[in-house]
Amino acid sequence: MSASRKDMNTFSRREFLKASGLSAGGLIIGVSLPLGVLGSMDSAGFEPNAFVHIDKNGDTTIYCGRCEMGQGISTALPAAVADELEADWSRVKVLQGDADKKYGPQATGGSRSINLMFEPMRKAGAAGKEMLIAAAAQTWKIPAEKCYAKSHAVFNRLDDRSLQYGELVIVASGLPVPEEPVLKTRDQFRYIGKPLQRHDQRDMVVGERIYGADKKLPGMKYAAIRHVPVLGGSVKSVDKTAALAMKGVVDVVEIPRFDKPFGSIGGVAVVADNTWIAEQALAKLKIEFEAGKNGSYDTVEYKKQLVRNVEAPAKSEFEKGSLDQAFEDAAVKHKATYTGGHLSHSPMEPMASLVWVQKDKCEIWASTQDPVSIQTTIGAYLDRKPEDITVHVMMAGGAFGRKFKCDYVQEAAACSKAVGAPVQMTWSREEDMRTGFYHSCSAQHIEASVDKQGKLTGWLHRAAFPPIASLFNPAVVQPSADDLDAVSKHPYGIENMRVESGMAPVHTRIGWYRSVYAIFYGFAINAFTDELAHKAGVDSLQFFRDIYANNKNPDQAEQVKRSLGVLNKAAEMAEWGKKLPANQGMGIAVHHSFESYVSMIAHVEVDGDEITVHKVDCAVDCGLVLNPDIATAQMEGAIIMGLGLAMNTEIRFKNGSVVNSNFHDYPVLSIGETPVEINVSFVGQDYRPTGLGEPGVPTTAPALANALFAATGKRYRSLPIKPA
Amino acid sequence: MSFSITINGQLHKTDVDGDMPLLWFLRDTLELTGTKYSCGMGICGSCTIHLDGEAVRSCITTVSEADGRKVTTIEGLSKDGSHPLQIAWLKNNVSQCGYCQPGQIMTAAEFLVQNPEPTTEEINDALQDNICRCGTYIRIRNAVADAAEQMKEA
Repeated sequence: MSASRKDMNTFSRREFLKASGLSAGGLIIGVSLPLGVLGSMDSAGFEPNAFVHIDKNGDTTIYCGRCEMGQGISTALPAAVADELEADWSRVKVLQGDADKKYGPQATGGSRSINLMFEPMRKAGAAGKEMLIAAAAQTWKIPAEKCYAKSHAVFNRLDDRSLQYGELVIVASGLPVPEEPVLKTRDQFRYIGKPLQRHDQRDMVVGERIYGADKKLPGMKYAAIRHVPVLGGSVKSVDKTAALAMKGVVDVVEIPRFDKPFGSIGGVAVVADNTWIAEQALAKLKIEFEAGKNGSYDTVEYKKQLVRNVEAPAKSEFEKGSLDQAFEDAAVKHKATYTGGHLSHSPMEPMASLVWVQKDKCEIWASTQDPVSIQTTIGAYLDRKPEDITVHVMMAGGAFGRKFKCDYVQEAAACSKAVGAPVQMTWSREEDMRTGFYHSCSAQHIEASVDKQGKLTGWLHRAAFPPIASLFNPAVVQPSADDLDAVSKHPYGIENMRVESGMAPVHTRIGWYRSVYAIFYGFAINAFTDELAHKAGVDSLQFFRDIYANNKNPDQAEQVKRSLGVLNKAAEMAEWGKKLPANQGMGIAVHHSFESYVSMIAHVEVDGDEITVHKVDCAVDCGLVLNPDIATAQMEGAIIMGLGLAMNTEIRFKNGSVVNSNFHDYPVLSIGETPVEINVSFVGQDYRPTGLGEPGVPTTAPALANALFAATGKRYRSLPIKPA
Repeated sequence: MSFSITINGQLHKTDVDGDMPLLWFLRDTLELTGTKYSCGMGICGSCTIHLDGEAVRSCITTVSEADGRKVTTIEGLSKDGSHPLQIAWLKNNVSQCGYCQPGQIMTAAEFLVQNPEPTTEEINDALQDNICRCGTYIRIRNAVADAAEQMKEA
């Protein structure tokens, strides 16, 4: 899901700034669109994408085009704008932008927000500052060099006079926009790199933050839905009589499958005066489903088949050196197979949106990660132009990749269209858990060789998992060469390697889940490396260090350096090698994903069946950290999600349908299972900022599994460790 | 059948179905949306409110059970966000998506009345059934401990 580096470079070359002049009594500045990324742009593409709006009284609004789901982006990016603008943060109000190409790319995922938008947003702020300075210089009839901006005002170096930003907006609005505004040097940063409090913390603790599930409109109705339980199945018959007879029920709406990647899987909805009546009526429907061709999907059997597929030769997608020779010359050889289950994102706010389909317009309030795909999907569904669909991006009560897909919005649109009123549909937890776009279940088999000097010489890696590409093309039945890149381009120094793709035909909807394939790759590669170190009789930390140090490819020198940087930092934090009681152990892992580097050391204690995670030490290199507090929170959250999927959670299918239903049988991590201590350190801050939302997940499970081995001598190769 | 419930100090009379969970009465009828739906079976804690001072799950508490009683929601926990827990939540920057936090705070608020000087283990036990998917647990623990400290001094 990450944009290629080439796209990002094209983007930064083409960006430029443009002012759209005075509007509603203020100065508006923005960053132009990255034409190379969005493709089909018209002249509207020259409209700004990130707004700085300053009122005549100086009140400043900064719009965030990226979607907020708790990761703090609507603070981190606007704070960078405010920094370059020399705005006083206490006078800045942050607003979430609606779906609009003027904001540039809004699909929020792949840990790309900072990566894509940091520079353009800073330029928007810097251009504003330069225009305000120029306005002051013009007012005072002195050269701009004799002026400087500081904390919402421009100062005259000659006589210390000053003009507040609000006093300058009218003059500034008539000035040309600087094409290449000068950005601050790092020592000049006021907010970037500081633990600025999120703009919305207060609203959250008083219950005033409004999510997609919370939006209200006069005359609105509420809907509940029961979905077709099997992908490709359908509703055979539905008896609506009892439901329609209930007081407060408006209508029962059959929603056929909408065969688009993010369209509804199909189901029956009830529209009523409130959510509770809708749920009661739903329970009274007599629905008969047709299962269809995926009706025998059974994950227990399927995972066994995946294991068979990776324990036999598969389709070679990458090869270097001579693996056969390396294996022949080996002093130590080892092999192991790792498996993982489907995962449900299960954000605390289930899928929810409010949609009002009218004759001449359609207005949507949705918790979403991708408002533009809502426009295209709902546009296609209603047979209207995407730009005619207005999407208000609401705060998402968690998303983790799930709210990239707008099937729930389309279902609300179907209901609104049927009853002619605004309809808010909130999925029940059960529907949320059973109607997902799941993280792939997977099997990986690794064989490797170590020579007499303890050097890793050969690596055979076979992976089988239903790929996300199957969502867009059902003919895809196994991982592609690109899907295997994380292995074939891994910064380990291995001269002889073969990477193979095993068959994994899809039977459900597969989607991006926080960290995506890095979850199982990070697990297998790190867990296996630890096993190999043990077999070779080398200390794990040393073995990891040596593997990276053995990589002499100049193209990967930076990856090696940064991987070693986090590895060494984590080892230092955890005091790796210190003596521990017999039933305790430390485990190490290091992984590179979303252009960032993370190493973790977990310290566990095992007492019978009970696992206590005492501490996780985590070193991160994501380049420059915009907000260390928010960044730390992201890592804490990633570790807790990582521990949950490592220990507890798996979505299981039987007869084509999901067996799990709610948090009792999908037990995400609880506070009692949370480590006593999590320490996070950031290194490598001289590099440009890179992804942070996802890279903390992949190292967690292997650090835990390796620590469990250190504590107990038992290897854990199948996730979750404690299936429900 | 009509019910009288005092919610955040204000008396509400209603003739909705007595079996309606308080959660939906609050959210859909009164449009008090600070109380969140998440599991619907009382196991995640997002919908926690106070019923006569006791922390209960509003998704499994009916309107008729609340008849004649006092309900406090996150909107009514303090007048201006000044409850020690709300302050501690801000001090520790607890919230990520924030969706579960009203329930966490309402659970913790009753807990601190029962146990003003909790150990870490007791905090864990009290909030064991309040799920946070963003993983803010470490900060929740710290914030509850901070609030307890503040309430002791006050």
